[in-house]
Amino acid sequence: MTIGIGGAGSKIAAKLDNAAVLVNVSETELNKVPGGARRILASVHAARGQFKGSRKNPEIGHDAYQSIRRELLAMVRGDVVFSSTGGGTGNGITTGILNDLTKASDISTSDKTSFGLILPYAKLESSEFVSNTIEFLTGPLAAAIDSGNTGNIFLFSNKKKFEEKESEELYNQQLVESLRVFLSIPDKNDKYRLLDGHIDHEDFALFMSKPYFNHFTYFDYDPKVPFGDQLEANSNPYLLAPEAAIEALFLLEVPKGGDPTLFYDILQYFAGKDVSPIYSVVENQDRQKPLVTVSLLYSRKPAELVDDFNRISEGHVQAKVKKSLDQWVELPKMEVNMETEARRAVKQRGDREDVLATLRRLGKL
Amino acid sequence: MGHELTTEDFGKLFERQAQRLGEAHFLVMYWAAQGEDLDCRYNITNSFDDMKRLGITRTKQTAVAIVEALAALCFIEVREERNRKNIFITTYGAKALEALVLSGRFAPRASGYLEEQAKK
Repeated sequence: MTIGIGGAGSKIAAKLDNAAVLVNVSETELNKVPGGARRILASVHAARGQFKGSRKNPEIGHDAYQSIRRELLAMVRGDVVFSSTGGGTGNGITTGILNDLTKASDISTSDKTSFGLILPYAKLESSEFVSNTIEFLTGPLAAAIDSGNTGNIFLFSNKKKFEEKESEELYNQQLVESLRVFLSIPDKNDKYRLLDGHIDHEDFALFMSKPYFNHFTYFDYDPKVPFGDQLEANSNPYLLAPEAAIEALFLLEVPKGGDPTLFYDILQYFAGKDVSPIYSVVENQDRQKPLVTVSLLYSRKPAELVDDFNRISEGHVQAKVKKSLDQWVELPKMEVNMETEARRAVKQRGDREDVLATLRRLGKL
Repeated sequence: MGHELTTEDFGKLFERQAQRLGEAHFLVMYWAAQGEDLDCRYNITNSFDDMKRLGITRTKQTAVAIVEALAALCFIEVREERNRKNIFITTYGAKALEALVLSGRFAPRASGYLEEQAKK
């Protein structure tokens, strides 16, 4: 089953899976997403939820998580959760899930939850999204990775969408199609004639249960060009670029009558990286050229991910400050003692109410 | 005589009158209300002493002028009682005081005389 949290997460989950469960704090937002099956309204203030969403505030999402916590925690086991890291609902509710998974001590391999996290494109998206993402990466995600209680984590990037000025609908569609290619690996092993190796559903589930970042991609394989060069040139544009792989998996589809030994060159490449991948080679009659689908599991310390974000974020802030300075805005130096100010404010409020109360008591108002 | 004043004109007039009041006017009205609330008489001499203590004025003439201005605007009523000129806030004065309080232009300051009375 697939679970979509918040607006961005729900749209992707619903596109990927007709049986997806969609979660939001706003009934209006929930009803906007076409597709999917069940809808869960997480509510803080009222039985029908609030209609305005979380307004980029993860605290609202996190509060709302408490209302569906038990149900959601049981649901996410062994499933894939999609969420954005920048918005209030996705960030807040997913933070709740990650915190609870971090504390859990009894998660079996088949119960591990995989996460598809949609990261903002810091150069063009709002600074709140970037700040929320940084807090998410350093806090709940870092702790969950350390605990080893999650499955694969897919870090989707909005970069392609913004750089190529794609519509959200098109971008989501392409992202989901890309994901489907990866997720179809065990089905293709069932469907097509096996030529070498084997990746069955259990192998695939075991691979998905490992608490690493997953970068998958696929491309027409040209045996005359080194595999490493092709892999580098064809990294998945919907995911953050990978680091050195710890583990790998690949499926090679060769046309009918194609060379079933092409995969040895790929194995050689991974051997040079000290990685022993699980793999399979199948014969796909519909293909004219060999196609390879490859997945790399890598470990990227959250701090390193945050460094990437911080660099972009700082640039963003510096640009804003420079713009202000360019406009000759003079900022007077203010020496404010917050304690004194707070006392003064409380006293003034008290005085004001006292005066009005006196006048009312006298019957003059 | 020109055209008659409308309710709106009176509203504007009141607003302008309240806007022209200074801190001393604000305090005299406030102290008068406080005195009435404490059930003790607050007179011109008391207001002069309080204003002097707070550094608002050093002369009784100024204190009297402030009180007379408020009386002329019907924001306070000055009654001669036992050779004392006691000050009472009117309902118009209460409205003006309310407007000043809500505007946040001035903050109430304590009257030495009324503080002494409150201890009794």
